[in-house]
Amino acid sequence: MSKWLANAIEQASSKQDWFQPLRAQAIQSLAEITWPTRKTEAWKYTSLRAVERFKQEAEIKKLRDSVTTIDEFDAIELVFENGHCQFQQIGDLPKGLTIVKLNEASSEMQSFALQKFSSVKPKRHLFGLINDALVPDLVYIKVADQAVIDKPIRITSLLSEQAQVHTRVFVELGQQAKACIVEHYKGELECLNTGFIEYSLANESCLEHYRFALQSGKAVSIGGSHFELAECADLNSTVVGFGSDLSRLDIDVIHSGERAFAKLNAFYLLDNKETFDLHTTIEHAVPNGTTEENVRIIAGDKAKAVFNGRIHIHRDAQKTLAELNNRNLLMSHDAEINTKPELEIYADDVRCAHGATVAEIDKKAMYYLQSRGVPKEQAQVMLNFGFINELIDEMPNQALAQWLRPQMKKRFAAMKVK
Amino acid sequence: MSNKEALLTIADLHASVEEKNILQGLDLEIKPGEVHAIMGPNGAGKSTMGYVLSGRDGYEVQKGTAVLDGVDILELEPEERAHAGLFLAFQYPVEIPGVSNLEFLKAAVDAQRNARGEEAISASDFLKEAKAACKQVNLPVSFLKRGVNEGFSGGEKKRNEIMQMLLLKPKLCILDETDSGLDIDALQVVAEGVNSQRAPDRSFVVVTHYQRLLDYIKPDFVHVLADGKIVKSGDASLALELEAQGYSWLQSSKEDVNA
Amino acid sequence: MTEQIDKALEREYEAGFVSDVESETFEPGLNEDIIRRISTMKGEPEWMLEARLKAFNTWLEMEEPDWALVDYAKIDFQAISYYSAPKSMKDKPKSLDEVDPELLRTYEKLGIPLVEQQMLAGVAVDAVFDSVSVVTTFREKLEEAGVIFCPISEAVHAYPELVKQYLGSVVPTKDNYYAALNAAVFTDGSFVYIPKGTRCPMELSTYFRINEQNTGQFERTLIVADEGSYVSYLEGCTAPQRDENQLHAAVVELVALDDAEIKYSTVQNWYPGDENGKGGIYNFVTKRGICHTNAKISWTQVETGSAVTWKYPSCILKGDNSIGEFYSVALTRGAQQADTGTKMIHLGKNTRSTIISKGISAGRSNNSYRGLVRMNSCADGARNFTQCDSLLIGDQCGAHTFPYVESRNPSAIVEHEATTSKVSDEQMFLCQQRGLDPEKAVSMIVNGFCKEVFKELPMEFAVEAGKLLEISLEGSVG
Repeated sequence: MSKWLANAIEQASSKQDWFQPLRAQAIQSLAEITWPTRKTEAWKYTSLRAVERFKQEAEIKKLRDSVTTIDEFDAIELVFENGHCQFQQIGDLPKGLTIVKLNEASSEMQSFALQKFSSVKPKRHLFGLINDALVPDLVYIKVADQAVIDKPIRITSLLSEQAQVHTRVFVELGQQAKACIVEHYKGELECLNTGFIEYSLANESCLEHYRFALQSGKAVSIGGSHFELAECADLNSTVVGFGSDLSRLDIDVIHSGERAFAKLNAFYLLDNKETFDLHTTIEHAVPNGTTEENVRIIAGDKAKAVFNGRIHIHRDAQKTLAELNNRNLLMSHDAEINTKPELEIYADDVRCAHGATVAEIDKKAMYYLQSRGVPKEQAQVMLNFGFINELIDEMPNQALAQWLRPQMKKRFAAMKVK
Repeated sequence: MSNKEALLTIADLHASVEEKNILQGLDLEIKPGEVHAIMGPNGAGKSTMGYVLSGRDGYEVQKGTAVLDGVDILELEPEERAHAGLFLAFQYPVEIPGVSNLEFLKAAVDAQRNARGEEAISASDFLKEAKAACKQVNLPVSFLKRGVNEGFSGGEKKRNEIMQMLLLKPKLCILDETDSGLDIDALQVVAEGVNSQRAPDRSFVVVTHYQRLLDYIKPDFVHVLADGKIVKSGDASLALELEAQGYSWLQSSKEDVNA
Repeated sequence: MTEQIDKALEREYEAGFVSDVESETFEPGLNEDIIRRISTMKGEPEWMLEARLKAFNTWLEMEEPDWALVDYAKIDFQAISYYSAPKSMKDKPKSLDEVDPELLRTYEKLGIPLVEQQMLAGVAVDAVFDSVSVVTTFREKLEEAGVIFCPISEAVHAYPELVKQYLGSVVPTKDNYYAALNAAVFTDGSFVYIPKGTRCPMELSTYFRINEQNTGQFERTLIVADEGSYVSYLEGCTAPQRDENQLHAAVVELVALDDAEIKYSTVQNWYPGDENGKGGIYNFVTKRGICHTNAKISWTQVETGSAVTWKYPSCILKGDNSIGEFYSVALTRGAQQADTGTKMIHLGKNTRSTIISKGISAGRSNNSYRGLVRMNSCADGARNFTQCDSLLIGDQCGAHTFPYVESRNPSAIVEHEATTSKVSDEQMFLCQQRGLDPEKAVSMIVNGFCKEVFKELPMEFAVEAGKLLEISLEGSVG
């Protein structure tokens, strides 16, 4: 048993508020859980040792971080400071958009929210349960039917050194609603963060989604983005990761209405002794759904990259089209990449495929660049960057792409190659 | 023929790929401003010559020298050969998704300028030049933003190669079967691109299987490459002769020698 | 259309008969005493018994694995008999003439005549019946070439040094639950040694038959190919049709020393149980080979039988430039469950591996590919290519792919691809429009799907495998 978990349960048990029904369930599930070891399939390659470092009694430093300014990116800013939602900063909301801080909401609203939370997030995520048990502030975001919110909504989680923080949001898109949501996690300080966001997409709604999992250094960053797609819903999600002492992200997409479309692009690049562990699960429960998933990883120095990409086609999900493409570059003898693209298929009339490669840089492309006079080192950076830039190019929001590109480039150029 | 110093001198070049000897004593001298056509049957070593000169991995030189502008290039890295003024227009240009044509070309131009001790070109000047080059080879400017050769048709790839040549201004251009897979219109565009670059200080090696391209790019010399060496040289009329006779005579003449 | 395909898939299990042979069978149960008795029956030396007892104690402390995607009633290891042999075998027949004719008839019925004149020329057979080897053919001819091919129980006496050196060297006792069980109770199997620089003059083959009720078969096979040698080996297996599940937990170890090559082919046709999943063999098998410098091991398997299959023939590519291959066709129908694949562990430089897996699921069956490709940090320039294709026939079955890729070397290249497809109405229509009946059409499409694997089988067996699939797909259409 984990000492950290025991503390967490103890701490959660002393809480009393409107969220108690869900919290109690989570605490009960946690009490029965076996703390993961290397033999636990979901944690086969990633150790949870770093979590034990965090002590309840540790002194939490003053918050020094602030929201990142991005050129030509004007967003509705929802900021969590050490897990506490700073509501006064939000300002006026466009028509059709409601953001509710549930701790201060009416009891009707609270009981309504109790039906929503944890309805999309699968119960199997250990840290999802921990988030249920410990989250201090819950936020509910609703985009009304047919509402089109032009401004992106950015959710930023800011943390102090030694803070242990749990953030939680439920996002509901009404029928034919349209919105863009950016989750932004950052900072290099030693802190622990669980950030779980649930998305429910009603019929024909359309969500552009980003999760920037950019905590690095000594941070322990664990979280999930979970999506449920109703009929003809459209999801376009981009996940960008840097590694840290421990970074773990679970993305779940459930096609529960027919003819929904999910595009998921994820890329992460790791340096030093960083770890990044991404698990994606795509469930097709109904016919005629489409999923396109692209995952690219670059690992240098002593980094460890883990990817588990599961596609599950249920018996009724005929005519599903689901493809996963995973490409990985290993840059150093001390780095490692562990990847497992899984297919679990129970319907016969489907088109499903996955491909995974681990390879060094394409020698032909290298020669082509060199033959044009580009020096080897520069060519290497260009090609590596191209490997990920393809996915940056596919980001619908140009301002975010512009902002991300130089950061990625910088990280590349600094990467240790052996 | 002029009395100028040779730009490229290949002497007794032997080279192999995967332990198979391909070039077996190649000799060739090219002076500034000249256009040489290299013709020959499949498997003669035509493409290998370009790869060996430009330093492709896996092409081993056993023997011989290749001196470009006073420098033996065979020991250099591929990019150093490019800096020395060598340009190879590939028969099958590789696709590099995610690296934009513009970014790639600027990096190449800057690297070559840097090697000459010049300052990097400003982004706006370069864009102007690149746009002009696109126009010259009849490629939409939007191609500059696309990944290098990514999703280009065969003809577009070849024109992209010529466009790069226009920007890099090499001393020696090797065109490796640039005519293959081109329709007549594309062929003309490519040929015009090449012809526009003909200059007293720039030479061309046109590697081709067919005489067709030589209708548009008039060679000063035509060489027949067979079994890894030049077996016959002549002027432009040799190409016509080859077109009429094919290469089967090579076989019989070799048998004569053996007999 | 689906109905037609289903019909085309109905078949009878042709090897389901019981031979009327009087056997001596241990009472069910597993304890140290049973293990001592097995050892005594085999007249084993003390070191072998000690190894068995040690394995048994290891096994007691291990847990049954539950990670495979298979679902079956828990096995009662005390309800299984661990030894059964025809009484006629007690006097150890010296030649074929002394072998019980009923036993010979059994093999003849299975299409494996043991009388040398009738046999496939160029194939030597070791026939294992329940817990004993009945006969090994062509031994003299093989001995001329210096090749040893004999029951492993005999090798323990005749070649103790080789057995001591290599037994358990590739699959250690502790490797997994069933391997530990096998190390404790194994009864027979084949031993092969190919001397340095020798090309084995004929194909070697072992044919396993479970006959007795309530028994398990725990065979052990060890093949050692000395430097620069070559051998091609094939195993086949069948069992009678019974309502109870029977356990088959084998261990196969291959050792390919420098420059040696071993080609190991399996045509597995254990009784699969009935349509509803009643009866059938639990096939829990550990197969692994080790390749030294420049050596090559090629596994080819055609898996059509068993109720539950749990099997991952693997290669440890220890030596530089060594090569591992895995070619597999797994067909599941009815209520069969298969979880099979391979592990390619790249340790040496420039090691190469190829994995081609074809899974065909029909009926209500589940068919999983599970594989591991590991590039260790010293495996410079190593390469792997994996292709996993699944064919689904009908909408009640499942096809799954679980490939683990672990790379620790930047110069290693791993490529994995997986696809799924179905026998489409269009394909069926085209075949039928051109005059083929649905049966033939399905079998043709399936055979085409498996072609890449069949071409790896030794010729005689490629024909057999093709037929086996055809039988599997044969039915009562029209």
